[in-house]
Amino acid sequence: MAKNPARAISLNSRLDKFKKNVLLNWRLYVFLLPAILYFTIFHYIPMYGVQIAFKDFYATEGITGSPWAGFEHFSRFFDSYYFWRLIKNTIILSLYQLILFPLPIIFALMLNELKNGPFKKWSQTLTYAPHFMSVVVIVGMLVAFLDPITGIINHVITSFGGSSISFLTSPEWFRHIFVWSGQWQTLGWGTIIYLAALSGVNPELHEAAKIDGATRIQRILHINIPAILPTIVVLFILNIGSFMAIGFEKVLLMQNNLNAETSDIIQTFVYQTGLLEGQYSFAAAIGLFDSVINLTLLVIVNQVARKTSENSLW
Amino acid sequence: MKLKKLFIVMTLLVLILAACSNKNSSSDAAEEEDLDNLTDSGLPIVKEPIELDIFAGKAPATADDWNDVLIWNEYEEMTNINVNWDMVPHEGLSEKRNLALASGDLPDAFHSALIPVPDIFKYGQQGTFIPLNDLIEEHAPNFKSILEEYPEVEKAITFPDGNIYSFPLISDPEFSALRISEGPWIREDWLEALDMDVPETTDEFYEYLKAVKEGNPSGDESIEEIPFGAQTISGLVTYLKGSFGIGNKGKDHRFIDLDSDGESVRFYPASDNYKEMLEYIHKLYDEGLIEENIFSISPEQFYANAGEGVYGSTYNHSPAELFPGEHRDSYTGGLTLEGPHGDKAFTGIDFPSGTTGLVITSQNENPAATARWMDYFYSDEGAELFFMGIEGETFEKTEDGEYEYVEEIRDNPDGLTLDQAVAQYLTWPGGQYPGVLKEDYFKGAEGTESSKEAAEKLEPDFIEEVWPSFTYTEEENNTMTSVGADIEKYVTEMTDQFISGQTPLSEWDTYVKTLENMGLEQYMEIQQDAYERYLSN
Repeated sequence: MAKNPARAISLNSRLDKFKKNVLLNWRLYVFLLPAILYFTIFHYIPMYGVQIAFKDFYATEGITGSPWAGFEHFSRFFDSYYFWRLIKNTIILSLYQLILFPLPIIFALMLNELKNGPFKKWSQTLTYAPHFMSVVVIVGMLVAFLDPITGIINHVITSFGGSSISFLTSPEWFRHIFVWSGQWQTLGWGTIIYLAALSGVNPELHEAAKIDGATRIQRILHINIPAILPTIVVLFILNIGSFMAIGFEKVLLMQNNLNAETSDIIQTFVYQTGLLEGQYSFAAAIGLFDSVINLTLLVIVNQVARKTSENSLW
Repeated sequence: MKLKKLFIVMTLLVLILAACSNKNSSSDAAEEEDLDNLTDSGLPIVKEPIELDIFAGKAPATADDWNDVLIWNEYEEMTNINVNWDMVPHEGLSEKRNLALASGDLPDAFHSALIPVPDIFKYGQQGTFIPLNDLIEEHAPNFKSILEEYPEVEKAITFPDGNIYSFPLISDPEFSALRISEGPWIREDWLEALDMDVPETTDEFYEYLKAVKEGNPSGDESIEEIPFGAQTISGLVTYLKGSFGIGNKGKDHRFIDLDSDGESVRFYPASDNYKEMLEYIHKLYDEGLIEENIFSISPEQFYANAGEGVYGSTYNHSPAELFPGEHRDSYTGGLTLEGPHGDKAFTGIDFPSGTTGLVITSQNENPAATARWMDYFYSDEGAELFFMGIEGETFEKTEDGEYEYVEEIRDNPDGLTLDQAVAQYLTWPGGQYPGVLKEDYFKGAEGTESSKEAAEKLEPDFIEEVWPSFTYTEEENNTMTSVGADIEKYVTEMTDQFISGQTPLSEWDTYVKTLENMGLEQYMEIQQDAYERYLSN
């Protein structure tokens, strides 16, 4: 500090400024308090439990009392026969979902071009509706529709002379069924944020463009898309942050011995070993590994986004 | 300076919360039990009433809340011990049980909680479950005499450290219908329509299935017959193992049995016999003789199909008790099939005792009273109470001394099945309880005439010796839950894949090689040690 008095002063004055700021706007900070408390109590404090990933957790000894095991659980996971299969399946499934990221954007742009009227309302309601269905119901519908004998899809296939396909037990079909049924469920809901962003586009821009003779496509490309680009980037980064976190309940419900080749993912493995077999330390180690990958990806993508588009989370 | 105060309050709050969650729960071990409160013997068990909190697994078939069921209210009055049942449905049982065990906030005991054998030992070693040896010696005379009568049961429930940690369900070894519980069933009227006999060899079984598919035995064009259907393929695999000379030590061991040298343990899913069996089952599946979606069928759909009467054969509990619809009585018990090399044995038998049942936790303040509470159900009167209930209220004795439920249960006016009617008063439906099961008192699905008849047909071909689940030391357990679990998972997956043809059987050598790479040798060393320890127990 002594070496650089100017900097010390500026730091002090910045601190003073901050204090002043807080005192002046204390009501706003009170509003912030519940959120801070929530995150502290339910997200930061429980983190001390992560240490069981490096311990042999004994219920009677508690979290702090259990003996240390070092990286034993991690190496056991890396050496496991299923390690590469789990990684591969998790990544492919995540990538597949990520590739479809533009779908709700396209859909939102299309909805935005519709005149306000009953047709627009209907299409919005119809596409939002599946979002409110429970995963269990969705999988129940999949099982019923895709049944090789009684399912409606196979009825259609056989009536056109094809032979019925056992969708739910073939590993080749699992990913398509999983991802596309997910898209069907979330497409409408995913458009909401984009539609909100689109409603903020200044109508004068469109009018001016129209007078200049721009076509509808040109206006979408040069007015609408640039307007929602920041939203797209932020949502994309957030998506990356949960890249490896696939909705595991649905995978679990759709899983069977025959499609395990593609449906066995890290989360179902954690559920199996942690909750069903009670190997908490091992499951915690796998979960931690998963989170570290997510965090790393998030940081990298955020960095890239900041460098290239000036839009980023921080 | 209001803000400063606020910050201080907030920080304190966080610290207090953190301190709370850090509270170590292991310190409050049970206090020394007041043995003076116990009566000398018999009922009641305690002089001053005591309370027990018991965690119980709730099978779908049993009553929702055992606190309101006749048997437990009656037993409470008999013993002076008031049990607060904490019912946990089977769907979330493993999760809830594991969470209860991990949180350190324990009930006094776990009843019917399906605790896996390795877990019993793990938590026994950690001190969560208490060893029962001394309690059995001093406070459980009925259980002790059963162990003396059946030393093989004592062998099976003793862990590598020499301790017993659980009161199991012991079934009368002579009660064969119960020991197989699930068996093969064939449509009798279709056999007649096709002019065939109950299949006795694997070839005849194939012929029958083929005939069902092609011969339209139902005589109804609108019904598309399914020659074999079940909830999972594993039943058929169990049925056929004996015909291919594998699985010779019973149903508790899905991966190992005794090799022909009579000394070493064999990993039979890597044997040629297993391959041959898979070839046979694959042939059935390939020709459409097995329900096509057997690998993904839901129980509801299976029973819906069964109600329509489309199945020509199945592997299940007695259809007369379980299937809906008019065809439920058309099934007759199947026979043990003779395989292509003359092997003929029925291997789908359970060891007469489980290892899981009731365990007492370290937080129980009345372990001796709890042991005596449990011990009563190992006596004849206890078994009578547990399975039949109270004379005059739920059962009557017929003139020749047989037990029979009262008419309201046997032929329920509201159309309930026997199990459903019984569940209003007693808690045995659903199974997994500790106690002793004798043919005289047991009237469940396995105790009905159709089940007994079917079991009698299979009985001559029962394998001679049945192994119980083995117990492993802590170190062995670590390998069994990692390498072992991977191997078993691989075998289970590949078995289904070979049967469905998703992986052709020409890949068999790769499969065996993979198993070896996964650490089969290590796995087998442990199994061999466990077997030898079982022998010398």
